[in-house]
Formats: sequence, C-alpha cells, structure tokens
Amino acid sequence: MTTQANPSVKAPSSKVRWLFLGVSISLLTMLGVSGIFAARYLDRLHEQEQNASHLLGQRAQALSGLWLSIQNYNQAVEKFIAETNISERPVTRDQLDRLAVEIAANISGYPRARDPMEAALLAELQGVFSQQRTLYVAVVSAQPGNRLKAEQALANQTEQILAWSSKLQAWNGDRIQRADERMRLEFEGLQAGLTKTLAIGISAGLLLVLAGMAYILRLERQTDRRYTELAESRLQLQQLSASLVDAQENERRSISRELHDEVGQSLGALLMDLGRLSTEQPELRERLEPIKAVTERTVDAVRNISLLLRPSMLDDLGLVAALEWQGREVSRHSNIEVEVKSENVPDDLPDEYRVCVYRLVQEALNNAVRHSGARNAVVEVRQSSGTIQVQVEDDGKGFDPHRTRGLGLLGMEERVKRLGGQLEITSGPGVSIKATLPLPPPHGVEG
Amino acid sequence: MQTRVLLADDHKLMRAGLRMVIDSQDDLTVVGEADDGRAAVSLAAELKPAVIVMDIAMPSLNGIEACRQIREAHPEIEIVMLSMHSDEGYILRALKAGAKAYLLKDSAEADLTRAIHAVGAGKSFFSPAVGKVLLEDYMRKLERSGVEDSYELLSPREREILQLAAEGKSSKDIANLLHLSVYTVETHRANLMQKLNLKGIPEMILYAVRKGIIS
Repeated sequence: MTTQANPSVKAPSSKVRWLFLGVSISLLTMLGVSGIFAARYLDRLHEQEQNASHLLGQRAQALSGLWLSIQNYNQAVEKFIAETNISERPVTRDQLDRLAVEIAANISGYPRARDPMEAALLAELQGVFSQQRTLYVAVVSAQPGNRLKAEQALANQTEQILAWSSKLQAWNGDRIQRADERMRLEFEGLQAGLTKTLAIGISAGLLLVLAGMAYILRLERQTDRRYTELAESRLQLQQLSASLVDAQENERRSISRELHDEVGQSLGALLMDLGRLSTEQPELRERLEPIKAVTERTVDAVRNISLLLRPSMLDDLGLVAALEWQGREVSRHSNIEVEVKSENVPDDLPDEYRVCVYRLVQEALNNAVRHSGARNAVVEVRQSSGTIQVQVEDDGKGFDPHRTRGLGLLGMEERVKRLGGQLEITSGPGVSIKATLPLPPPHGVEG
Repeated sequence: MQTRVLLADDHKLMRAGLRMVIDSQDDLTVVGEADDGRAAVSLAAELKPAVIVMDIAMPSLNGIEACRQIREAHPEIEIVMLSMHSDEGYILRALKAGAKAYLLKDSAEADLTRAIHAVGAGKSFFSPAVGKVLLEDYMRKLERSGVEDSYELLSPREREILQLAAEGKSSKDIANLLHLSVYTVETHRANLMQKLNLKGIPEMILYAVRKGIIS
C-alpha cells in the first residue's frame, strides 16, 4: 500500500532554475564587458598622455633652443652696439647673421601641429624678430650721427622679443596645465562609470544571492516536510501491518477456540453418547460403528484445523511445550527430524512474544519442509541478558535470502520488528534464521 | 463402598456424557461438577473426592495447573486427565503435575471407568491411542538418528523394576515383591534411569507408556 502524495506540494519548477542561470550569466557578462571597456579606455588615456608629453617635450626643446639663440643674439647685438672699434664690426656682424639664421631655423623647427593661439604667438614672435632684423640693418647702415638712436630702438626691440618669447613659454605652461586638467576629468569620468557599474553589479549580485538563499530555504523546508511525511507514512504502514498481524492472530485464536470449544466438545459428547448407546443396545452396534468412525474423523479434522490456527499449547502449556509439539508434528508429517532445545525460557512470557517466536519457528520449519530438502532441523530458544534468542537451522540446500522474499519471511520480519527485535537470515548450504527480541522490563504491563 | 468422583470440564454436554458413563457403574458415583479450574480446586477441598476427571483445556485455570494445586494440597486425590491431544508435551506435563491417567476424549467413553478404577488402585492408565502415538514418535526418532534403542541396554531385572516403578509402585513395594533389599532396588532404578537418560518419575512413566510396558 502506498500513501497519497500531498497534491499541494509541487516539484520545484525548472523555470526558477533557468531564471537564476540567466540572471547570473547576464550579471557576469555585464561585469566582464565593463572591465574590458575600462581597460581599453585606460589604454587610450595612456596613449593620449604619452602623445601629449611627447609633444610638450618637443615644444619645450624647441622653445629652450629658441630662447638660447635669442639670448645669444641679444648679447651679440649689445656687443655689436658697444663695439667702438669699427674694424671689429664685420666679425660681430657675421656672428649676428649666423644667429639670425639659427633663430629662423628654430622657429621653423617648432612643431608643426599648433593650435591658433600658439600659431598667433609664434607669428608675433617672428614679426618682432624680423622688425629687429630690419632695425639691425638700419643700425648697420646708419650714419654715425643717427646711429645711437637706432641702437636704442634695436635694444627695445630685443627686449620685446624676449617678452614674446616668455609669453610663448607661459602659454606652453598653461597648455600643460590644461592637458593635465583634461586628463583628470576624463579619468574621473571613467572612475564614475566604473563605480556605477560596480555598484549595479554588486547590488544585483547581492539580490541574486538573497533570492538564491530564499529559494534554497524554501526547498529545504519542502524537503523537511516531505521527509516528515515519508517517516509518518512509513510509521503508519508499519502500524498498519502490525495491526494486520494482530488482527490475523486474534481472528485465528477466536476461530480456533470456537472450533475447539464448541464443535470439538460437542463432537466429543456425541462420541460418548454413541459409545454408550452401542454398549446399552448391542443390536445397534453394527449400524453405530460407521457413524462413530465419521464422527472420530471429524473430531480429528477439527482438532487439526484448530491447532493449525492457534496451538492451544501456547495457552495451556507455554512456549517451549508448543515448540516441542510443533517440532514433533513436523517430524511426524515430513522427512525432517526436528530437535527443539530450550534454555531459561520463562513460562510467563507475554503473549505477543510467545506468538512471535512460535510463528517464526512455524514459518521457518514450513520453509524447510517445502523447499530445502533438509533431513534435520534444530530449533533453539534461550533467554539471556534481557533478550529472547531464537534460532532455526536446517541442513538443506539453502536459498538466497535477498532474492527469495516471500510473504512468510516478510511476516516474520514484521513480527520481529514490531517487538523491537532483529531478524538475521543466512543461507549457505543450509538456512539459519535467527531472531533476537529484547524482553520487556520485568514489571511490564502484562497481567 | 463407592468411589467418589468429581467432574471438571467447562462443557456441559461433556460433563453430562461423563456423568452418564460413571453413573452406569455401581461402584462409582459423581459427587460434584466444576466448570473451570478454579471451581475444581475449591470443590476438591470441599468434597474430598477420591478421583477427579479433569479436562486439560479449561478457562481461568487450565487442568494441568488445577491438577498441580490439588495434588499439592491433597496428595490422596487421584486425577484422570482428559484431553484432545495425544502429544507427549501434554502427557509429560500432566504427569509432572501429578495426574495418574491420561485419556483422549475420542475414546473417553470406552476407557473412563477402567481409568478411574486403575487410579483408584494406585496405578497409571493411558488411552491405547496415546501409547501408539508416543511409540511411533520414538521409533521414528530412533530410525532417523540411527541410534540403538536404549531399552536394549537394560538387564532383565532392570526391565522388571522399570515396569513396576512405572506402574506406580514404591521402591519398598518392589523390594517386597521381588525379595530384594530396598537398597538394591534403588541402585537398579538409578542405573536404568541413567541408561535411558530419564529425569524423574514422569519421564519414566512416559517412557514406559511409549514402549508399551504399561498402558
């Protein structure tokens, strides 16, 4: 018999499983994609920064070259102006020309990529320089009288060149700052983006974990409940089969008693009357004999059925006597000689123990008679250390106790289990069935 | 003088049948009827019958237990046990409880008066069918186990003493009968009991019935 499954408990749906899988995968994908994205972005920033610093280096180099040649040129101009010895002038002039060419080269060597502001500054510088060149030419070619004035203008112009050059340098400094600023902003942007992605990822992950935990808890509760249900139904099943065994035993006992007490006794009285009748009226004896024979056969049949159902020895004489009787019965009606040994078995065993042991032995001997081809069987019952031990052994061909699980063996197991005992069946050649039953405490409820 | 008989059986029909059989004999009289073991015990004390015819299977107190109690309190009362079973478990226990005769209910009518007379004279009595079943069991066992019949081990004198003792005679009676000393009889008894592996008089009586030495 099986118990009906509770219809309210459904199997955990596979939908939830797929949902979890989907969410987990998309979360991991999101984190992975934003990681790749951030790495690429950082790569690009790095490249930009390298580019910028390269350009700045170039510019700084060009500017410092320019600055140096302008300084040299100014010194040369001052020297030229201060030169009183006219004969020395051509030397200085050559020097000035060389320096002018150098400056021009420096200006044209300035990096090509320029933004408008930078280009404007550079153009101004170039303008001022070419004005100076003009003034210088004027100084060279001026009459000694005008010369002082021209020289004055030239010195002014030189200062202006220096000033423009400083402006250019300052602008370059600005530019570095601006580039730094831009980098910082971009980096902050990236940071913010990453923080956001991470926050979303972590909170989604947390949600996933919480949902997972809740789901697991629910499953656990379901499992618990089902386990309890299973244990309960198993217990019910056990109780049911126990009460079946009980009911069967009670039914057998009452039928047996009825047969023995009513039918048997009435037949006995009938036999006695028949006997008396045949002694009192000898002329009827011939006709009474067959009636007597039938009645005797009926008495025998009733007695045998009654004993089979419930051996009255179990009630009249106790367990050991009943087992000995059974051993003799089996010996009488089969090819097996049964020996019954007992040790310390108390007469006042509770009824369920007597019945259990008796039926166990009965079943074991029946099996031996039917299947084993045994010649001898030994039944041993003893009480020791608070248990009743029963063992039935035969010398037959044996059977496979794992495969042969007949109703008889099951019934045996059921009876033994019910009293908290253990049943052990071993079979090689020959079968040994051994049961150990813990006895009830000495002051049991048995009346 | 009539032998006073008490009937103990829980079935009225059975008691009526028994009573008719007993009443048909001039030297027997039924002095009372008990319908269970307890009533049998108290009536035995009250009526002091010479013989009780007792059913083994009775409610509240079975015949064997009632027999033991009555024999303990009144050893002079003899008991004829009535049973449906010709099994040595019952017979041996009935003997141990102190019964002298064992009758099967199927043949009660034919054997009852003989049984009552036998126990009244201090002898044992068993339904012929009982001896037959016991002998069959015994012979089968011997045959299957291949063991020699231990009766063959007994000397003629021991067999003689076995029969007399199983019939219920004391060592002193036997000594007088055979013109032996009580001591010699006791020695023979001990020897034969050992040879037959018997413990106590009930087992000896059972053995004798089984072998057909007494009936």
